[in-house]
Amino acid sequence: MKKFSIVFLILSLILFTAIVKNSTKRVDDAIFVLEENIRGLKKDFENVKLEHDYLSSTEKLLEFQNLYFDDELVKKEIEEIKIIIKKSGKLQIQQLKFINEK
Amino acid sequence: MKSKDLRIILDNQQNDFLYKKNKSKLNITFNRISFIFFVFFIIFLIYTIHLIHLGSRKAKIELNNDIKISQNKLYRADIVDRNKKYLVKTIDSIDIGISPSKIIDEKKLLLNLKYIFPYKDYLEVKKRIKKGKFFYFEKKISEENYEKLMKLGDKSIEPRDNLIRIYPQKNLFSHIIGQIDSDNNGISGLEKSLDDDLKKRQEPVILTVDKDIQFLIRDELIKYNKIFDTIGSAAILMNVNNGEIISLVSLPDFDPNTRQKISDLNFINRATKGIYEFGSVFKTFTLAAAFDEKIIEPETEFNNLPKSLTCAGFPIREYDNKIPSNLTAEQILIRSGNIGSVRIGQKLGEDKFKKFLTNLGILEKTNFDIEEVGVPIKFNWGKCPLATASFGHGITTTLLQLAKAYSIIVNGGYYIKPRLIHKNQNVKKEKILDEKVSEKILPILRKIVTMKEGTASLANVAGYEIGGKTGTAQKSIAGNYSKKKINTFVSVFPTSRPKFVLAIMLDEPKTNEDYIYHYRDGSNIKYKGTPFNTAGWTTVEVTGQIVEKIGPILATKYSEVN
Repeated sequence: MKKFSIVFLILSLILFTAIVKNSTKRVDDAIFVLEENIRGLKKDFENVKLEHDYLSSTEKLLEFQNLYFDDELVKKEIEEIKIIIKKSGKLQIQQLKFINEK
Repeated sequence: MKSKDLRIILDNQQNDFLYKKNKSKLNITFNRISFIFFVFFIIFLIYTIHLIHLGSRKAKIELNNDIKISQNKLYRADIVDRNKKYLVKTIDSIDIGISPSKIIDEKKLLLNLKYIFPYKDYLEVKKRIKKGKFFYFEKKISEENYEKLMKLGDKSIEPRDNLIRIYPQKNLFSHIIGQIDSDNNGISGLEKSLDDDLKKRQEPVILTVDKDIQFLIRDELIKYNKIFDTIGSAAILMNVNNGEIISLVSLPDFDPNTRQKISDLNFINRATKGIYEFGSVFKTFTLAAAFDEKIIEPETEFNNLPKSLTCAGFPIREYDNKIPSNLTAEQILIRSGNIGSVRIGQKLGEDKFKKFLTNLGILEKTNFDIEEVGVPIKFNWGKCPLATASFGHGITTTLLQLAKAYSIIVNGGYYIKPRLIHKNQNVKKEKILDEKVSEKILPILRKIVTMKEGTASLANVAGYEIGGKTGTAQKSIAGNYSKKKINTFVSVFPTSRPKFVLAIMLDEPKTNEDYIYHYRDGSNIKYKGTPFNTAGWTTVEVTGQIVEKIGPILATKYSEVN
């Protein structure tokens, strides 16, 4: 009985190793495919980001502003900039304090 | 018979004994199996340890994936600004070459190529095929054309990998980023200084600059270069507390996408490489050094100051003859008095002033993230040189070092190193000046902008508490002073809690009869024409216009809200 159980243990270990190895290989393959897909998507993302960075550059935005908005989009003076703070569910508007001078 | 039977029984007894021996044999077999099991177990253990080791090693690589040696020789990391916007992007491309020795049917090949690239000069291609040497047929081809070419299955068509370095901001960062050559080697700017790192890095290099602020500053500089007809200009916007450079502009600049070979000296990086005498901006150092040594206080009086002095046969005069003869130390800086600054310098002495300037890093070449850094001309100290250096005459440095020195003076006396590359860790601050120096100098710099007697009232933009010092210096050409000028204004804001230093320099500005100035003293007065080509009428005006544009962004994006 002991002999049988030892042989069975060894065989089951070998089988277990084979199964683990096999499933690891499958996981590896899946990881590889995913990585390749991610690489492709990453490349697409980088290209789209490059395009976005170019189209949203200050130069382009000012160009678009002159073309489509005339005087609608104007620079804000620092005194006009306010800070909205949410305190215990309520919104509070505060003055931006960049300087201490009065 | 009985005895025989007995023998048999004995035999059987012997057999019984033998049976016991067999039992021991079973024991031997069991040990062998145990041994095999043990061997298997050891192998299993070794593999398990090996697997764990491999697993942990991978995790380590993932942790340190910031720097990873790329197998691809043509790899070059991207460069982004502080908001992760692309400043440089590498795009893989393919060049198509033709190997004439591998051509089987020339006619068929040319016909196929003509179908894909109809506008090519095929007489030239034929000539090159005849020469029999490999040549590039088309560079940087599209993926679509690459697929078409590969479908031809012609062995003579050889694709070669290449990379395209794209600079989407065009001229905007040309002096910072620099260029690469056709072999993927950096030849100037960060492309040169970070060459090895860019070839190894997996992640993009993050800079401290902001492309929007850089654009706004450059735009204003270009505008005022035309108004004041300068030959060039430069600007540096620096965080006084950590030395991070938010913007660094030098004009004229160039488009790195065109890959021009620039030999014109006018394209020098005026912000870091150009060495200039900046004039009166040095008076702040004289006063700050005296405060640091506790020799004088802002209220210390200097009486009976003459209108001119003679040193080694050369006269030292006041720029403004209306300047009073009795002035306090504070008034000397506000009114930019030459003679008063000489007196402070003399009181301070050569050694202390030299030590102060050395501590600020004015006199020596500074270490910076790009290699295009100027070396200040060696200053020969003596009685007269001390007098001239006190008001910024005869002593040279770069705009970068000037901005750095002002940052140290106003940030409480902490040493900072200007940097273009973003670092996450906080740099340990080393105090090199008495903190009282900042407390004493900042109100004076503010008064230069707010007071009528000051030289920089055109920069008094409401809401930013700008302080600063102007400097108008004659340009030295071939060892002699010319009538051409270098106008500088180093501003600090907000003076109650300094965050930024903006140093602007105009190279050879001229007066403009048509330019209209809007006074910022609340009088609403407009003034037509530039009366003098001095810093107060040129660089200060540019600074005011720039702060108006970038101020709201700086106030909201780069300062903690309280």
